[in-house]
Amino acid sequence: MSLPFAQTALRTALSSMRASPVTSLVAVATIGLCLLLIGAFVLLVANMERLLDHFGEEIRVSVYLSEETDIEAQQQLAARARIAPGVLEVELLTREAALERFRQHQPEHATLFEGFGESPLPASLEILLAPEQRNEQGVAILVESLSGLPGIGELGYGHEWVSGYAHVVSLLYGAAVALCCVLLPATFLIVAGTIRLSLYARRDEIEIVRLIGGSRGFVASPLLLEGITCGACGGLLGLVLLYLCYRLLLPAFEGGLSLLIGTAEPVFLGIGAACGLIAAGALLGLLGATIALLQDELRS
Amino acid sequence: MPRDNVARGASDALVRLFHVSKSYLAGSFALRDINLELGRGEFALLTGPSGAGKTTLLRLIFGAERPSEGQLLVLGRNISRVGGHSVAPLRRRIGVVFQDFKLLPRHTVEQNVGIALDVMGVPAREKRARVFAMLKRVGLEARRAHHPLSLSGGEQQRLAIARALVNRPQLLLADEPTGNLDPDLSIEIMELIAAFASSGATVLVATHDHGLLRRYGRRVLRLEAGELVDDGVSGAQP
Ligand SMILES: Nc1ncnc2c1ncn2[C@@H]1O[C@H](COP(=O)(O)OP(=O)(O)O)[C@@H](O)[C@H]1O
Ligand SMILES: [Mg+2]
Repeated sequence: MSLPFAQTALRTALSSMRASPVTSLVAVATIGLCLLLIGAFVLLVANMERLLDHFGEEIRVSVYLSEETDIEAQQQLAARARIAPGVLEVELLTREAALERFRQHQPEHATLFEGFGESPLPASLEILLAPEQRNEQGVAILVESLSGLPGIGELGYGHEWVSGYAHVVSLLYGAAVALCCVLLPATFLIVAGTIRLSLYARRDEIEIVRLIGGSRGFVASPLLLEGITCGACGGLLGLVLLYLCYRLLLPAFEGGLSLLIGTAEPVFLGIGAACGLIAAGALLGLLGATIALLQDELRS
Repeated sequence: MPRDNVARGASDALVRLFHVSKSYLAGSFALRDINLELGRGEFALLTGPSGAGKTTLLRLIFGAERPSEGQLLVLGRNISRVGGHSVAPLRRRIGVVFQDFKLLPRHTVEQNVGIALDVMGVPAREKRARVFAMLKRVGLEARRAHHPLSLSGGEQQRLAIARALVNRPQLLLADEPTGNLDPDLSIEIMELIAAFASSGATVLVATHDHGLLRRYGRRVLRLEAGELVDDGVSGAQP
Protein backbone atom coordinates (compact mmCIF):
# COMPACT_ATOMS: atom_id res chain seq x y z
CA MET A 1 0.00 0.00 0.00
CA SER A 2 1.56 3.26 -1.14
CA LEU A 3 1.73 6.26 1.16
CA PRO A 4 -0.78 8.50 -0.64
CA PHE A 5 -3.12 5.54 -0.84
CA ALA A 6 -2.82 4.92 2.91
CA GLN A 7 -3.26 8.61 3.69
CA THR A 8 -6.43 8.79 1.63
CA ALA A 9 -7.75 5.61 3.23
CA LEU A 10 -7.06 6.88 6.75
CA ARG A 11 -8.60 10.27 6.04
CA THR A 12 -11.70 8.65 4.60
CA ALA A 13 -11.98 6.20 7.50
CA LEU A 14 -11.71 8.94 10.11
CA SER A 15 -14.19 11.21 8.38
CA SER A 16 -16.59 8.31 8.06
CA MET A 17 -16.30 7.59 11.79
CA ARG A 18 -16.80 11.26 12.55
CA ALA A 19 -19.86 11.32 10.33
CA SER A 20 -21.55 8.56 12.35
CA PRO A 21 -20.16 8.83 15.89
CA VAL A 22 -23.02 6.93 17.51
CA THR A 23 -22.65 3.75 15.48
CA SER A 24 -18.88 3.92 15.87
CA LEU A 25 -19.25 4.30 19.62
CA VAL A 26 -21.68 1.40 19.79
CA ALA A 27 -19.16 -0.78 17.98
CA VAL A 28 -16.32 0.37 20.25
CA ALA A 29 -18.40 -0.23 23.38
CA THR A 30 -19.53 -3.66 22.21
CA ILE A 31 -16.02 -4.78 21.46
CA GLY A 32 -14.89 -3.25 24.75
CA LEU A 33 -17.46 -5.17 26.82
CA CYS A 34 -16.85 -8.39 24.93
CA LEU A 35 -13.13 -8.14 25.55
CA LEU A 36 -13.69 -7.14 29.17
CA LEU A 37 -15.52 -10.40 29.80
CA ILE A 38 -13.00 -12.47 27.89
CA GLY A 39 -10.14 -10.59 29.57
CA ALA A 40 -11.62 -11.26 33.02
CA PHE A 41 -11.67 -14.98 32.30
CA VAL A 42 -8.16 -14.90 30.94
CA LEU A 43 -7.04 -13.08 34.06
CA LEU A 44 -8.72 -15.57 36.40
CA VAL A 45 -7.48 -18.63 34.56
CA ALA A 46 -3.97 -17.20 34.32
CA ASN A 47 -3.89 -16.57 38.06
CA MET A 48 -5.22 -20.03 38.82
CA GLU A 49 -2.73 -21.67 36.50
CA ARG A 50 0.06 -19.76 38.10
CA LEU A 51 -1.04 -21.14 41.43
CA LEU A 52 -1.22 -24.62 40.00
CA ASP A 53 2.38 -24.40 38.84
CA HIS A 54 3.32 -23.15 42.25
CA PHE A 55 1.60 -26.13 43.90
CA GLY A 56 3.34 -28.46 41.54
CA GLU A 57 6.70 -27.44 42.87
CA GLU A 58 5.57 -27.99 46.40
CA ILE A 59 4.24 -31.45 45.85
CA ARG A 60 6.49 -34.11 47.26
CA VAL A 61 5.50 -37.70 47.33
CA SER A 62 6.53 -39.08 50.68
CA VAL A 63 7.56 -42.73 50.71
CA TYR A 64 7.75 -43.90 54.31
CA LEU A 65 10.39 -46.43 55.14
CA SER A 66 9.82 -49.20 57.62
CA GLU A 67 11.39 -49.16 61.08
CA GLU A 68 13.85 -51.95 60.42
CA THR A 69 15.80 -50.22 57.64
CA ASP A 70 19.15 -48.96 58.66
CA ILE A 71 20.81 -45.92 57.19
CA GLU A 72 22.65 -47.91 54.59
CA ALA A 73 19.48 -49.57 53.37
CA GLN A 74 17.77 -46.19 53.33
CA GLN A 75 20.50 -44.73 51.13
CA GLN A 76 20.21 -47.68 48.78
CA LEU A 77 16.46 -47.18 48.53
CA ALA A 78 16.99 -43.47 47.83
CA ALA A 79 19.43 -44.37 45.05
CA ARG A 80 16.91 -46.85 43.71
CA ALA A 81 14.14 -44.19 43.79
CA ARG A 82 16.33 -41.69 41.90
CA ILE A 83 16.35 -43.93 38.85
CA ALA A 84 12.60 -44.64 39.00
CA PRO A 85 10.67 -43.27 35.98
CA GLY A 86 9.50 -39.65 36.23
CA VAL A 87 11.51 -38.83 39.30
CA LEU A 88 13.27 -35.48 39.41
CA GLU A 89 14.68 -35.33 42.91
CA VAL A 90 14.88 -37.62 45.91
CA GLU A 91 15.65 -36.42 49.37
CA LEU A 92 16.26 -38.89 52.14
CA LEU A 93 14.71 -37.75 55.39
CA THR A 94 16.11 -39.78 58.25
CA ARG A 95 14.12 -40.20 61.43
CA GLU A 96 16.18 -37.53 63.18
CA ALA A 97 15.80 -35.14 60.27
CA ALA A 98 12.05 -35.77 60.24
CA LEU A 99 11.82 -34.84 63.88
CA GLU A 100 13.97 -31.75 63.36
CA ARG A 101 11.76 -30.68 60.46
CA PHE A 102 8.63 -31.28 62.48
CA ARG A 103 9.94 -29.05 65.26
CA GLN A 104 10.84 -26.34 62.78
CA HIS A 105 7.54 -26.41 60.97
CA GLN A 106 5.32 -26.76 63.99
CA PRO A 107 7.11 -24.93 66.81
CA GLU A 108 3.87 -24.79 68.81
CA HIS A 109 3.95 -28.57 69.06
CA ALA A 110 7.70 -28.74 69.41
CA THR A 111 7.49 -30.23 72.87
CA LEU A 112 5.17 -33.01 71.77
CA PHE A 113 7.86 -35.60 71.22
CA GLU A 114 10.12 -34.49 74.02
CA GLY A 115 11.32 -37.27 76.20
CA PHE A 116 11.51 -39.85 73.47
CA GLY A 117 15.04 -41.07 73.36
CA GLU A 118 14.81 -41.71 69.69
CA SER A 119 12.70 -40.01 67.02
CA PRO A 120 9.26 -41.56 66.87
CA LEU A 121 8.82 -40.46 63.26
CA PRO A 122 9.58 -42.82 60.36
CA ALA A 123 12.31 -42.10 57.87
CA SER A 124 11.03 -41.21 54.40
CA LEU A 125 12.06 -40.48 50.86
CA GLU A 126 10.74 -37.10 49.74
CA ILE A 127 10.29 -37.46 45.99
CA LEU A 128 9.76 -34.60 43.52
CA LEU A 129 8.28 -35.77 40.28
CA ALA A 130 9.04 -34.25 36.89
CA PRO A 131 6.39 -31.58 36.01
CA GLU A 132 4.64 -33.75 33.42
CA GLN A 133 4.41 -36.60 35.94
CA ARG A 134 2.70 -34.58 38.65
CA ASN A 135 -0.61 -36.34 38.28
CA GLU A 136 -2.31 -39.52 39.40
CA GLN A 137 -0.76 -41.51 36.62
CA GLY A 138 2.74 -40.33 37.50
CA VAL A 139 2.20 -41.30 41.08
CA ALA A 140 0.82 -44.67 40.06
CA ILE A 141 3.93 -45.35 38.00
CA LEU A 142 6.10 -44.43 40.96
CA VAL A 143 4.16 -46.69 43.30
CA GLU A 144 4.45 -49.50 40.82
CA SER A 145 8.20 -49.23 40.55
CA LEU A 146 8.86 -48.91 44.29
CA SER A 147 6.28 -51.17 45.89
CA GLY A 148 7.50 -54.55 46.87
CA LEU A 149 11.03 -53.41 47.56
CA PRO A 150 12.01 -54.42 51.07
CA GLY A 151 11.78 -51.52 53.50
CA ILE A 152 9.17 -49.55 51.55
CA GLY A 153 6.18 -48.61 53.70
CA GLU A 154 3.20 -46.55 52.70
CA LEU A 155 3.02 -43.62 50.28
CA GLY A 156 1.46 -40.29 51.11
CA TYR A 157 0.85 -37.26 48.98
CA GLY A 158 -1.41 -34.24 48.82
CA HIS A 159 -2.34 -35.09 45.31
CA GLU A 160 -6.11 -35.33 45.43
CA TRP A 161 -6.76 -31.76 46.37
CA VAL A 162 -4.46 -30.53 43.61
CA SER A 163 -6.04 -32.63 40.94
CA GLY A 164 -9.45 -31.30 42.03
CA TYR A 165 -8.11 -27.80 41.68
CA ALA A 166 -6.66 -28.56 38.26
CA HIS A 167 -10.09 -29.80 37.33
CA VAL A 168 -11.66 -26.48 38.35
CA VAL A 169 -9.08 -24.63 36.30
CA SER A 170 -9.86 -26.69 33.23
CA LEU A 171 -13.59 -26.18 33.79
CA LEU A 172 -13.07 -22.43 33.91
CA TYR A 173 -10.92 -22.68 30.85
CA GLY A 174 -13.75 -24.50 29.08
CA ALA A 175 -16.20 -21.84 30.27
CA ALA A 176 -13.94 -19.14 28.83
CA VAL A 177 -13.83 -20.95 25.48
CA ALA A 178 -17.63 -21.33 25.52
CA LEU A 179 -17.98 -17.65 26.35
CA CYS A 180 -15.76 -16.76 23.39
CA CYS A 181 -17.88 -18.96 21.15
CA VAL A 182 -20.97 -16.97 22.11
CA LEU A 183 -19.47 -13.50 22.38
CA LEU A 184 -17.18 -13.41 19.38
CA PRO A 185 -19.78 -14.10 16.68
CA ALA A 186 -22.16 -11.61 18.28
CA THR A 187 -19.41 -9.02 18.32
CA PHE A 188 -18.46 -9.77 14.69
CA LEU A 189 -22.03 -9.17 13.68
CA ILE A 190 -22.23 -5.86 15.50
CA VAL A 191 -18.99 -4.65 13.94
CA ALA A 192 -20.16 -5.90 10.55
CA GLY A 193 -23.39 -3.97 11.10
CA THR A 194 -21.46 -0.80 11.87
CA ILE A 195 -19.36 -1.13 8.76
CA ARG A 196 -22.46 -1.93 6.72
CA LEU A 197 -24.02 1.32 7.94
CA SER A 198 -20.90 3.22 6.85
CA LEU A 199 -21.11 1.41 3.58
CA TYR A 200 -24.72 2.46 3.10
CA ALA A 201 -24.01 6.01 4.19
CA ARG A 202 -21.25 6.20 1.62
CA ARG A 203 -22.90 4.05 -1.03
CA ASP A 204 -23.26 6.81 -3.63
CA GLU A 205 -19.78 8.01 -2.94
CA ILE A 206 -18.34 4.51 -3.27
CA GLU A 207 -20.22 3.99 -6.51
CA ILE A 208 -18.74 7.20 -7.91
CA VAL A 209 -15.25 6.25 -6.79
CA ARG A 210 -15.67 2.92 -8.59
CA LEU A 211 -16.84 4.68 -11.73
CA ILE A 212 -13.75 6.84 -11.86
CA GLY A 213 -11.48 3.83 -11.47
CA GLY A 214 -11.08 3.29 -7.73
CA SER A 215 -9.77 -0.24 -7.27
CA ARG A 216 -11.33 -2.74 -4.92
CA GLY A 217 -8.59 -2.06 -2.40
CA PHE A 218 -9.06 1.68 -2.69
CA VAL A 219 -12.74 1.33 -1.87
CA ALA A 220 -12.32 -1.35 0.79
CA SER A 221 -9.31 -0.05 2.71
CA PRO A 222 -11.01 2.89 4.47
CA LEU A 223 -13.76 0.53 5.63
CA LEU A 224 -11.26 -2.07 6.82
CA LEU A 225 -9.29 0.67 8.58
CA GLU A 226 -12.49 1.86 10.19
CA GLY A 227 -13.12 -1.67 11.47
CA ILE A 228 -9.56 -1.99 12.76
CA THR A 229 -9.70 1.43 14.45
CA CYS A 230 -13.05 0.69 16.13
CA GLY A 231 -11.70 -2.72 17.15
CA ALA A 232 -8.45 -1.42 18.62
CA CYS A 233 -10.31 1.33 20.49
CA GLY A 234 -12.69 -1.33 21.79
CA GLY A 235 -9.75 -3.48 22.88
CA LEU A 236 -8.22 -0.53 24.71
CA LEU A 237 -11.55 0.21 26.35
CA GLY A 238 -11.89 -3.42 27.45
CA LEU A 239 -8.38 -3.34 28.88
CA VAL A 240 -9.02 -0.12 30.80
CA LEU A 241 -12.31 -1.47 32.17
CA LEU A 242 -10.60 -4.71 33.16
CA TYR A 243 -7.89 -2.81 34.99
CA LEU A 244 -10.47 -0.65 36.77
CA CYS A 245 -12.39 -3.74 37.82
CA TYR A 246 -9.18 -5.35 38.97
CA ARG A 247 -8.26 -2.33 41.05
CA LEU A 248 -11.67 -1.30 42.36
CA LEU A 249 -13.68 -4.50 42.58
CA LEU A 250 -11.01 -6.97 43.61
CA PRO A 251 -10.76 -5.82 47.25
CA ALA A 252 -14.52 -6.34 47.59
CA PHE A 253 -14.20 -9.96 46.55
CA GLU A 254 -11.12 -10.79 48.55
CA GLY A 255 -12.89 -13.59 50.43
CA GLY A 256 -14.35 -15.31 47.37
CA LEU A 257 -11.16 -14.87 45.46
CA SER A 258 -9.03 -16.48 48.13
CA LEU A 259 -11.16 -19.59 47.71
CA LEU A 260 -10.10 -19.69 44.10
CA ILE A 261 -6.49 -18.66 44.20
CA GLY A 262 -5.68 -19.14 47.86
CA THR A 263 -3.30 -16.75 49.52
CA ALA A 264 -1.36 -16.12 46.32
CA GLU A 265 -1.05 -12.47 45.35
CA PRO A 266 -3.23 -11.86 42.23
CA VAL A 267 -1.41 -10.41 39.24
CA PHE A 268 -2.78 -8.32 36.35
CA LEU A 269 -2.26 -9.20 32.69
CA GLY A 270 1.33 -8.81 31.53
CA ILE A 271 2.26 -6.38 28.78
CA GLY A 272 2.07 -9.13 26.16
CA ALA A 273 -1.43 -10.21 27.15
CA ALA A 274 -2.56 -6.56 27.38
CA CYS A 275 -1.30 -5.89 23.84
CA GLY A 276 -2.90 -9.17 22.84
CA LEU A 277 -6.27 -7.92 24.07
CA ILE A 278 -5.98 -4.75 21.97
CA ALA A 279 -4.80 -6.78 18.99
CA ALA A 280 -7.76 -9.11 19.47
CA GLY A 281 -10.04 -6.07 19.31
CA ALA A 282 -8.38 -4.87 16.11
CA LEU A 283 -8.71 -8.35 14.64
CA LEU A 284 -12.39 -8.49 15.59
CA GLY A 285 -12.89 -5.15 13.88
CA LEU A 286 -11.01 -6.25 10.77
CA LEU A 287 -12.98 -9.48 10.50
CA GLY A 288 -16.28 -7.68 11.06
CA ALA A 289 -15.45 -5.19 8.32
CA THR A 290 -14.37 -8.00 6.00
CA ILE A 291 -17.66 -9.80 6.56
CA ALA A 292 -19.60 -6.62 5.78
CA LEU A 293 -17.62 -6.05 2.58
CA LEU A 294 -18.00 -9.63 1.42
CA GLN A 295 -21.74 -9.53 2.07
CA ASP A 296 -21.93 -6.32 0.11
CA GLU A 297 -19.95 -7.77 -2.77
CA LEU A 298 -22.15 -10.84 -2.90
CA ARG A 299 -25.24 -8.69 -3.05
CA SER A 300 -24.05 -6.40 -5.85
CA MET B 1 -16.94 -13.88 -37.07
CA PRO B 2 -16.20 -10.33 -38.13
CA ARG B 3 -12.48 -10.92 -38.24
CA ASP B 4 -12.15 -8.94 -41.47
CA ASN B 5 -13.44 -5.87 -39.66
CA VAL B 6 -10.67 -6.18 -37.14
CA ALA B 7 -8.12 -6.39 -39.90
CA ARG B 8 -9.54 -3.41 -41.74
CA GLY B 9 -9.64 -1.21 -38.65
CA ALA B 10 -7.17 1.58 -38.27
CA SER B 11 -4.27 0.22 -36.26
CA ASP B 12 -4.36 3.07 -33.79
CA ALA B 13 -8.07 2.94 -32.98
CA LEU B 14 -8.69 3.53 -29.29
CA VAL B 15 -12.22 2.21 -29.28
CA ARG B 16 -13.68 -0.50 -31.48
CA LEU B 17 -17.12 -2.03 -31.33
CA PHE B 18 -17.98 -5.15 -33.36
CA HIS B 19 -21.63 -6.03 -33.67
CA VAL B 20 -22.30 -4.78 -30.17
CA SER B 21 -25.82 -5.12 -28.87
CA LYS B 22 -27.14 -4.28 -25.45
CA SER B 23 -30.43 -5.43 -24.07
CA TYR B 24 -31.54 -4.54 -20.56
CA LEU B 25 -34.82 -6.39 -20.84
CA ALA B 26 -35.28 -9.57 -22.83
CA GLY B 27 -36.70 -8.80 -26.26
CA SER B 28 -35.89 -5.09 -26.37
CA PHE B 29 -32.58 -3.60 -27.41
CA ALA B 30 -31.07 -0.39 -26.07
CA LEU B 31 -28.35 -0.82 -28.70
CA ARG B 32 -28.44 -3.12 -31.70
CA ASP B 33 -25.50 -4.35 -33.78
CA ILE B 34 -23.24 -1.32 -33.45
CA ASN B 35 -19.98 -1.28 -35.42
CA LEU B 36 -17.78 1.65 -34.68
CA GLU B 37 -14.20 2.82 -34.42
CA LEU B 38 -12.70 5.85 -32.78
CA GLY B 39 -9.15 6.68 -33.79
CA ARG B 40 -6.45 8.23 -31.68
CA GLY B 41 -6.98 11.98 -31.36
CA GLU B 42 -10.42 11.85 -32.88
CA PHE B 43 -13.16 14.25 -31.72
CA ALA B 44 -16.58 12.76 -32.36
CA LEU B 45 -20.09 13.76 -31.37
CA LEU B 46 -22.77 11.22 -30.58
CA THR B 47 -26.31 12.36 -31.19
CA GLY B 48 -29.86 11.11 -31.40
CA PRO B 49 -33.15 11.60 -29.63
CA SER B 50 -33.66 10.87 -25.99
CA GLY B 51 -33.73 7.12 -25.36
CA ALA B 52 -31.72 6.39 -28.51
CA GLY B 53 -28.96 4.69 -26.51
CA LYS B 54 -26.28 7.38 -26.22
CA THR B 55 -25.74 6.94 -22.51
CA THR B 56 -25.76 3.17 -22.89
CA LEU B 57 -23.04 3.36 -25.56
CA LEU B 58 -20.84 5.52 -23.33
CA ARG B 59 -21.43 3.23 -20.34
CA LEU B 60 -20.38 0.24 -22.42
CA ILE B 61 -17.16 1.96 -23.40
CA PHE B 62 -16.04 2.62 -19.82
CA GLY B 63 -17.14 -0.77 -18.61
CA ALA B 64 -20.16 0.23 -16.55
CA GLU B 65 -22.26 -2.12 -18.66
CA ARG B 66 -21.35 -5.26 -20.50
CA PRO B 67 -22.53 -5.90 -24.03
CA SER B 68 -25.19 -8.55 -24.47
CA GLU B 69 -23.60 -9.47 -27.78
CA GLY B 70 -20.52 -8.53 -29.76
CA GLN B 71 -17.00 -7.49 -28.88
CA LEU B 72 -15.74 -4.26 -27.45
CA LEU B 73 -12.10 -3.18 -27.52
CA VAL B 74 -11.15 -0.15 -25.46
CA LEU B 75 -7.58 1.13 -25.20
CA GLY B 76 -6.38 -2.20 -26.53
CA ARG B 77 -8.35 -4.35 -24.11
CA ASN B 78 -11.30 -6.53 -24.88
CA ILE B 79 -13.69 -5.51 -22.15
CA SER B 80 -16.64 -7.56 -23.35
CA ARG B 81 -16.01 -10.11 -20.69
CA VAL B 82 -13.82 -8.58 -18.00
CA GLY B 83 -15.21 -8.81 -14.51
CA GLY B 84 -16.29 -5.96 -12.29
CA HIS B 85 -12.96 -5.23 -10.63
CA SER B 86 -10.60 -5.56 -13.55
CA VAL B 87 -12.15 -2.56 -15.30
CA ALA B 88 -10.77 -0.24 -12.60
CA PRO B 89 -7.32 0.18 -14.20
CA LEU B 90 -8.99 0.86 -17.53
CA ARG B 91 -11.27 3.49 -16.03
CA ARG B 92 -8.29 5.33 -14.65
CA ARG B 93 -7.20 5.96 -18.23
CA ILE B 94 -10.62 7.20 -19.29
CA GLY B 95 -12.13 10.52 -18.25
CA VAL B 96 -15.89 10.50 -17.96
CA VAL B 97 -18.20 13.51 -17.63
CA PHE B 98 -21.48 12.09 -16.37
CA GLN B 99 -24.81 13.51 -17.37
CA ASP B 100 -25.66 13.98 -13.69
CA PHE B 101 -22.04 14.98 -12.88
CA LYS B 102 -21.71 12.44 -10.06
CA LEU B 103 -19.87 14.85 -7.80
CA LEU B 104 -19.12 13.92 -4.20
CA PRO B 105 -21.41 16.20 -2.18
CA ARG B 106 -19.55 15.91 1.11
CA HIS B 107 -16.19 16.73 -0.42
CA THR B 108 -14.87 20.12 -1.42
CA VAL B 109 -14.32 21.19 -5.02
CA GLU B 110 -10.61 20.54 -4.58
CA GLN B 111 -11.20 17.04 -3.15
CA ASN B 112 -13.65 16.22 -5.92
CA VAL B 113 -10.94 16.78 -8.48
CA GLY B 114 -8.26 15.24 -6.26
CA ILE B 115 -10.08 11.92 -5.93
CA ALA B 116 -9.33 11.15 -9.58
CA LEU B 117 -5.64 11.39 -8.69
CA ASP B 118 -6.12 9.57 -5.36
CA VAL B 119 -7.35 6.47 -7.16
CA MET B 120 -4.10 6.57 -9.18
CA GLY B 121 -1.97 6.93 -6.05
CA VAL B 122 -0.51 10.32 -7.03
CA PRO B 123 1.53 11.77 -4.12
CA ALA B 124 -0.10 14.59 -2.15
CA ARG B 125 2.25 17.35 -3.27
CA GLU B 126 1.96 16.56 -6.97
CA LYS B 127 -1.77 16.11 -6.54
CA ARG B 128 -2.23 19.57 -5.07
CA ALA B 129 -0.31 21.18 -7.89
CA ARG B 130 -2.20 19.33 -10.61
CA VAL B 131 -5.59 19.94 -9.01
CA PHE B 132 -4.85 23.63 -8.67
CA ALA B 133 -3.71 23.92 -12.28
CA MET B 134 -6.83 22.10 -13.43
CA LEU B 135 -9.17 24.26 -11.34
CA LYS B 136 -7.50 27.32 -12.77
CA ARG B 137 -8.06 26.03 -16.27
CA VAL B 138 -11.81 25.69 -15.66
CA GLY B 139 -11.98 28.92 -13.68
CA LEU B 140 -12.87 27.37 -10.32
CA GLU B 141 -9.68 28.09 -8.37
CA ALA B 142 -11.46 30.63 -6.19
CA ARG B 143 -14.15 28.09 -5.34
CA ARG B 144 -11.85 25.25 -4.39
CA ALA B 145 -12.93 25.11 -0.72
CA HIS B 146 -16.65 25.11 -1.58
CA HIS B 147 -18.89 22.10 -1.71
CA PRO B 148 -20.46 21.09 -5.03
CA LEU B 149 -24.01 21.79 -3.93
CA SER B 150 -23.16 25.44 -3.34
CA LEU B 151 -22.02 25.78 -6.97
CA SER B 152 -24.16 26.89 -9.90
CA GLY B 153 -25.08 24.40 -12.63
CA GLY B 154 -22.37 25.72 -14.93
CA GLU B 155 -19.78 25.55 -12.18
CA GLN B 156 -20.76 21.97 -11.34
CA GLN B 157 -20.41 21.10 -14.99
CA ARG B 158 -16.93 22.62 -15.12
CA LEU B 159 -16.02 20.77 -11.94
CA ALA B 160 -17.16 17.49 -13.50
CA ILE B 161 -14.97 18.23 -16.52
CA ALA B 162 -12.02 19.17 -14.32
CA ARG B 163 -12.25 15.82 -12.55
CA ALA B 164 -12.47 13.95 -15.85
CA LEU B 165 -9.43 15.72 -17.30
CA VAL B 166 -7.10 16.02 -14.32
CA ASN B 167 -5.44 12.65 -14.83
CA ARG B 168 -4.86 13.42 -18.54
CA PRO B 169 -6.91 10.50 -19.86
CA GLN B 170 -6.32 9.03 -23.28
CA LEU B 171 -10.04 8.95 -23.85
CA LEU B 172 -12.67 11.44 -22.75
CA LEU B 173 -16.35 10.52 -22.71
CA ALA B 174 -18.87 13.27 -21.99
CA ASP B 175 -22.60 12.64 -21.64
CA GLU B 176 -24.59 15.74 -22.57
CA PRO B 177 -22.08 18.05 -20.92
CA THR B 178 -24.06 21.10 -22.01
CA GLY B 179 -27.42 19.56 -21.19
CA ASN B 180 -29.04 22.25 -19.12
CA LEU B 181 -26.76 25.17 -19.81
CA ASP B 182 -27.56 28.36 -21.69
CA PRO B 183 -25.86 28.75 -25.11
CA ASP B 184 -22.96 30.95 -23.91
CA LEU B 185 -22.11 28.53 -21.16
CA SER B 186 -22.44 25.61 -23.58
CA ILE B 187 -19.87 27.14 -25.89
CA GLU B 188 -17.55 27.76 -22.96
CA ILE B 189 -17.79 24.12 -21.88
CA MET B 190 -17.31 22.82 -25.40
CA GLU B 191 -14.26 25.05 -25.85
CA LEU B 192 -12.73 23.39 -22.83
CA ILE B 193 -13.39 19.97 -24.28
CA ALA B 194 -12.21 20.94 -27.76
CA ALA B 195 -9.00 22.33 -26.29
CA PHE B 196 -8.41 18.98 -24.59
CA ALA B 197 -9.19 17.14 -27.83
CA SER B 198 -6.65 19.21 -29.70
CA SER B 199 -3.97 18.05 -27.24
CA GLY B 200 -4.19 14.60 -28.86
CA ALA B 201 -6.78 12.77 -26.76
CA THR B 202 -9.74 10.93 -28.19
CA VAL B 203 -13.05 12.53 -27.31
CA LEU B 204 -16.62 11.32 -27.65
CA VAL B 205 -19.37 13.74 -26.63
CA ALA B 206 -23.04 12.79 -26.52
CA THR B 207 -25.29 15.75 -27.22
CA HIS B 208 -28.51 16.64 -28.93
CA ASP B 209 -27.65 20.30 -29.15
CA HIS B 210 -27.86 21.18 -32.86
CA GLY B 211 -25.91 24.37 -32.37
CA LEU B 212 -22.98 22.37 -31.04
CA LEU B 213 -23.30 19.80 -33.80
CA ARG B 214 -22.94 22.52 -36.41
CA ARG B 215 -20.09 24.20 -34.61
CA TYR B 216 -17.99 21.22 -33.48
CA GLY B 217 -19.27 18.38 -35.62
CA ARG B 218 -16.25 17.04 -37.40
CA ARG B 219 -17.56 13.53 -37.05
CA VAL B 220 -21.15 12.88 -35.95
CA LEU B 221 -22.48 9.48 -34.96
CA ARG B 222 -26.25 9.38 -35.02
CA LEU B 223 -28.21 6.83 -32.99
CA GLU B 224 -31.88 6.15 -33.41
CA ALA B 225 -33.72 3.57 -31.35
CA GLY B 226 -30.48 1.80 -30.58
CA GLU B 227 -29.15 1.67 -34.12
CA LEU B 228 -26.27 3.61 -35.58
CA VAL B 229 -28.01 5.29 -38.50
CA ASP B 230 -25.40 7.79 -39.54
CA ASP B 231 -21.65 8.20 -39.17
CA GLY B 232 -20.31 11.18 -41.01
CA VAL B 233 -19.58 14.85 -41.12
CA SER B 234 -22.40 16.97 -39.83
CA GLY B 235 -23.78 20.24 -41.08
CA ALA B 236 -26.49 18.66 -43.14
CA GLN B 237 -28.45 17.66 -40.06
CA PRO B 238 -31.45 19.89 -39.44
N1 LIG C 1 -30.59 0.45 -16.48
C1 LIG C 1 -31.54 0.32 -17.44
N2 LIG C 1 -32.47 -0.64 -17.31
C2 LIG C 1 -33.40 -0.81 -18.24
N3 LIG C 1 -33.50 -0.08 -19.35
C3 LIG C 1 -32.60 0.91 -19.54
C4 LIG C 1 -31.57 1.16 -18.58
N4 LIG C 1 -30.81 2.18 -19.02
C5 LIG C 1 -31.34 2.57 -20.19
N5 LIG C 1 -32.41 1.81 -20.51
C6 LIG C 1 -33.20 1.92 -21.73
O1 LIG C 1 -32.33 1.86 -22.83
C7 LIG C 1 -32.71 2.78 -23.82
C8 LIG C 1 -31.57 3.72 -24.12
O2 LIG C 1 -31.35 4.57 -23.00
P1 LIG C 1 -30.18 5.61 -22.92
O3 LIG C 1 -28.92 4.94 -23.29
O4 LIG C 1 -30.23 6.25 -21.59
O5 LIG C 1 -30.56 6.66 -24.04
P2 LIG C 1 -30.11 8.17 -24.23
O6 LIG C 1 -28.93 8.42 -23.37
O7 LIG C 1 -29.82 8.29 -25.67
O8 LIG C 1 -31.26 9.02 -23.85
C9 LIG C 1 -33.94 3.47 -23.30
O9 LIG C 1 -35.06 2.84 -23.86
C10 LIG C 1 -33.89 3.25 -21.82
O10 LIG C 1 -35.20 3.20 -21.30
MG1 LIG D 1 -28.62 9.77 -21.81
